[in-house]
Amino acid sequence: MNKKKNLTFRQWMGQEHIAGVVFCMPFIIGFLLFMIVPMGISLYYSFCDYNILTPAVFTGAANYIKMFTDDEVFWQTIGVTFYFALVSVPLRLIFALLVAMLLLKTTKATGFYRAAYYLPSIIGGSVAVAVLWRRMWATDGVINTLLGSIGIKTSFAWLGNTKTAIWMLIILAVWQFGSSMLIFLSSLKQIPSSLYEASTVDGANKWSQFWKITLPLLTPTIFFNLVMQMINGFLAFTQCFIITKGKPLNSTLFYTVYMYQQSFEFYNTGYGAALAWVMLLIISLITLVLFATKKLWVYEGGL
Amino acid sequence: MGMKEKRIIGKVIYHVLVCGIGLIMIYPLVWMVMSSFKKTETIFTTAGQLFPTPFVLENYANGWKGFAKITFATFFKNSLFVSIIATIGTLISSALVAYGLSRCKFLGRRVLFVAMLLSMMLPAQVLMIPQYLWYQKLGWVGSFKPLIIPYFFAIQGFFVYQIMNFIDGIPRELDEAAKIDGCSYYGIFGRVILPLISPALITCTIFSFMWRWDDFLSALLYINESAKYPVSLALKLFSDPGSSSDYGAMFAMASLSILPAVVMFICLQKYLVEGISTSGLKG
Amino acid sequence: MKKKIALLMACAMTATALAGCGGGSGSGETTAAAGGSGETTVAASGSGGGTAAGGLALTMCWWGNQVRNERTQAALDKYAELNPGVTIEGQFSEWSDYWNKLATSAAGQAIPDIVQMDYMYLDQYAKSGLLVDLQPYIDSGALDVSEISENTMASGTVDGGVYAIAAGINSPALLYNKTLLDENGITVKDNMTMDEFFALSKEIYEKTGVKTDISYGTVNSWSEYFMRSYDIVPFGDKCMNGDETSWIPFFAMYTKGLSEGWMLSPDVFAEIAIGSVEQCPMVYSSTPETQSWCALSNSNQMTAMQNAAPEGMTVGITTWPAPDPVKSGYLKSSQFFSVGAHSKNVDEAVKVLDYLINSSDANNILLGERGIPAPADIAAEVAPQLSDIDQQVTAFINDVVTPNCSPINPPQPDGASEVYDLLNRTVEKVCYGQLDETAAAAEFFTEANKIMATK
Repeated sequence: MNKKKNLTFRQWMGQEHIAGVVFCMPFIIGFLLFMIVPMGISLYYSFCDYNILTPAVFTGAANYIKMFTDDEVFWQTIGVTFYFALVSVPLRLIFALLVAMLLLKTTKATGFYRAAYYLPSIIGGSVAVAVLWRRMWATDGVINTLLGSIGIKTSFAWLGNTKTAIWMLIILAVWQFGSSMLIFLSSLKQIPSSLYEASTVDGANKWSQFWKITLPLLTPTIFFNLVMQMINGFLAFTQCFIITKGKPLNSTLFYTVYMYQQSFEFYNTGYGAALAWVMLLIISLITLVLFATKKLWVYEGGL
Repeated sequence: MGMKEKRIIGKVIYHVLVCGIGLIMIYPLVWMVMSSFKKTETIFTTAGQLFPTPFVLENYANGWKGFAKITFATFFKNSLFVSIIATIGTLISSALVAYGLSRCKFLGRRVLFVAMLLSMMLPAQVLMIPQYLWYQKLGWVGSFKPLIIPYFFAIQGFFVYQIMNFIDGIPRELDEAAKIDGCSYYGIFGRVILPLISPALITCTIFSFMWRWDDFLSALLYINESAKYPVSLALKLFSDPGSSSDYGAMFAMASLSILPAVVMFICLQKYLVEGISTSGLKG
Repeated sequence: MKKKIALLMACAMTATALAGCGGGSGSGETTAAAGGSGETTVAASGSGGGTAAGGLALTMCWWGNQVRNERTQAALDKYAELNPGVTIEGQFSEWSDYWNKLATSAAGQAIPDIVQMDYMYLDQYAKSGLLVDLQPYIDSGALDVSEISENTMASGTVDGGVYAIAAGINSPALLYNKTLLDENGITVKDNMTMDEFFALSKEIYEKTGVKTDISYGTVNSWSEYFMRSYDIVPFGDKCMNGDETSWIPFFAMYTKGLSEGWMLSPDVFAEIAIGSVEQCPMVYSSTPETQSWCALSNSNQMTAMQNAAPEGMTVGITTWPAPDPVKSGYLKSSQFFSVGAHSKNVDEAVKVLDYLINSSDANNILLGERGIPAPADIAAEVAPQLSDIDQQVTAFINDVVTPNCSPINPPQPDGASEVYDLLNRTVEKVCYGQLDETAAAAEFFTEANKIMATK
C-alpha cells in the first residue's frame, strides 16, 4: 500500500482488484461471520461421539471408520442417492428446457401457462403433496384406474415395490422443474433476436436455429442449472422425508434422510456430522468433474 | 392446405398440448384448494374426488383463528416481514458479489468462488445445532435477526452464482465502452450491469421470496415466542400424530399461504422475459 | 453517484456485521471458540427466567394440536391472573419439530422452565442432567402428589429421582370397527389372548375380506407389550435382554398372518402416513383388501379415531391382545410435565407444575385433553364434564385395564430409538418374505446388541 500512497482515495478505490474486494465484501463478511464457525463446529463434531444432550467427546476418526467398514445402510443410501440424482437431474433439466422453449412464445395465455408450470414448485414439500402423491400411486389410485381403463387391469403397488418406489420420488422431483425453467426462460430472452433474424435471412429453419444458436448460447445456463441441480439432487431430502421415509426396505432412503435419522432420531449426532462431510466430499468431487468438462461443451465467447 | 390454415392448426395443437400438460401439472394444487372446502373428516375418504360435496367454508374459519388467540393474520404478517426484508438483502448483496466475482480480477477470487460453492454442499440439517450455538453466542436467539441479517451478506451461493452466470452473458464490450466514457467499476455496475440483469434479479426475487416463505427450520430453532411464528411453522401445528389433526384447517391455511407467492409470480413473470434482448446487447 | 451508493451499501453491511459482533460480546460471552464441545455456558437469551417488568417470566413448551394449544395457554394465562407478577409464555410445536427444538436448546443450555416430556425421551433427558429432580419439592410439600397412584409416580422415576409427573393417564387400546363386526355377528372380548386374536382375524377375513393391521412401521410399544408376556424387558444395561430365540414368537406372528392371508399387505403402509390416526388403514382405506378391522392404538386416540372414521362407523375399544394379557397390560402416562434444568426459577416452575397437575382451576380448562388426570380427586372432578367418548374411555381404563395390568417397563435408554428402527426394518424384511421368524429373531438380536454396546 505504501507504494500507492500517491493515489487519491477515489483512485485507490477505483483499481480493479480493490473494487473486486469491495464488491465481494458482503460475502467475505457473511462467510466469516455466519458460515465458517458453524461449519467448523460440525466438522469437529464429525470426529466426536456426540448425542446433543451431553457434551461431545473426541473419538478421532471412529465415525468415519464405522461408516466405511460397519454400516450396511450407508452404502445402501449412497446407491439410492446416486440413482436418484443421476436419473432425476437430467430428466428435470430436459423438461425444464423443453417447456421453457414452448413458453417463450408470447401469446395471451402464456402468463397462465407459465404459472401452471411453475406453481408445482411452490407447493413442493407440503403435506398436501405427500397425501396426494401416495393416493395417486396407490393400489386403488388414479394411475391404476387409468391403466385399467386402457385395458391393463392391475393393482400394482407402485410405492410398495422396491423396484418402482424410487421412481415415484424421481417423478415427483421432475414434476417440480419450475425453478430451472424460469432460469432457462430468463436466459433464453438474453439471446439477441438479431441472431435469429440474421439466420432466417440465411434460410435456416427453426430446428437448425435451435441447434446452432439457442443451444450453444444456452450452454452456460445449462451448465449452471446442471451444477445447482446436481448439488440439490444429492442433497435431496423432502421427497423421501414426506412420502416414503425410505420404505420399502430402504430402497428409497436418501442419504440426507439417513443422516437426519442418525442425528436427530437416534441421537448419533457426531456420526450424522461425519455423514454430512462425506457427502460434501462426494458432491465437491462431482462438481469438480463437471467444471473440468466445462471447457469441452460450454460456450464461453460472450455474444 | 394454405399457410394460414397450417398456422392455425399449429396454434391449436400448441395450445391443446401446453394446456393439457399444464392441467396435469397444476392438478395437485387444485386438489389441495378443493380439499380445503371439504369437511375436514372427509378429506381422506374422498381423496379420489376433486369437487367438494358439500362445499364448506368452516375450515377457513377454523384455521384462521390460529392457536391460543394468535390468528393467522399475525403469522402472515411475520412471514411477509421476514421474507420481504430477507429477499431485499439477498438481492442487493448477491448482485454486488456476483458483479465483483464476474467482472473484477483480484487475488482470492477463485478461493471465494470455491468457498461459495462449498457452502452450498453441506446439508442444512447438519448445521442446525452449530448454527444455533453460534447465534446464541451472538445473542440473536429469540429474535428475527438470524432469519434476516445473514441474507444481507450473500450467504446463499445459488443467487450469487445465478447472477454471475447472467452477467457473464453480457458482452464485455459494454463495460469497455463505459470505461472509455470514464465510468469506474462502481459506475459500470450501477449504470450498465444493473439494468441489464433485471430478468435474473426477478427470478432471484421469486425464488428467494418463496424459499424464505417456506423456510420453517430456522424459525423453529430461533423463534421462541408463538406470536412471532411465520406461516410455514404455524401450518405444521395443525397436525399431531399422537392425537387428532385438523387437515381441513391445514389445507385451508396452506392454500392461503401460497397466495403471496402466486400473486408475486403472476405480477413478475412478464418482466422476466421482457425487454432485455435490446439493441444494447448487439455489441 | 452510483459509486457512492455502491460504496455506501458495502459500508452499511460492514457496519451491520460489526454491530452484530458487538451484540454478541455484549451478552457477556467471549465470542471465541464455540469449540463445539457443547460446553457453551448459558447465554442471556434462550429460556425465560429473566424478570419481565418487575415480575417473573417463565416459559413452557409442549407439542400438540389446536385444542391443546388453546387450552394449555388458557390455563397458563389463568395462572398469571391468579399470581400477579408472573407471566408464562407458551411455546408449542408439532411433535417431531418439538424434539428437534428441545434437543437444540439442550445443546445451548437453554431448555424452557417447564417442558412436556414423553416416556421415550425421559430416560435420556433425565440422565443427561437436563431435568430437575422433583423429589426435594415433593418432600417439602411444594409439589403435591398424594392423590397420584404409586404406579403412575414410578413411571416418572429414573435412577431413584422423580423427573416427571404424569400429565394424563392412558393405556394401550385396540380400537376396532364395531359396525363391521356387529353386522357379521362377531363379538370381541376384552383381554384376548394371541390365539383368540388370530382366530378372530381369520374369521373376519373369511367372512368379510377385511384384513388385520398388526402394526407395521410403529412396532415400538407393541413389541414391548408383546414381550412382557414372556417376561422380557427389551433393554438391559448396554445390551439386549433375552437371547437369539426370544423374539421368535414376535416375528412368527407376522409370518403367520402372511401365510394365512389375513394380515394387511405391507404395500398398504407405503401408501399412507404411518402413525397418523386419520390415515390409519381402519378408517382410511376403502377396499377390503387395504382395510383393517382394528388398530393397535392408545386409549386417548379414541376420539380422534371416531372423528376420522367414515360416516356410520362406530369405533369400539378393547385391550391389545397378548400371549398373556395380564402380564402385558399396563397403564401409562400419555405424557409428562418436567422442570427444565436450566430454569432460573425452579421454585416458581414447580409451583406452575403443581397448579397444572392438582388445581381445579387448571384442570377445568384442560379437561383431560392429555388423558385422564393423574390425581384421583381431580380425575373425579373432571369426569362429569367429559364427552361421551371420553367417559367410555375412562370406564375402559378404570374397569377393564386397571384390574388386569402390571407396572410399566422402565423408560427406554439411549439407543432404543435406533433399535426400534432396526426392529421395524426387520419386520419389513419378514413381511417382504426375505427372512423367516428364526432368522429374523437372530439377526435382530445380534444387530440390536451391537447398537446397545456402543451406548
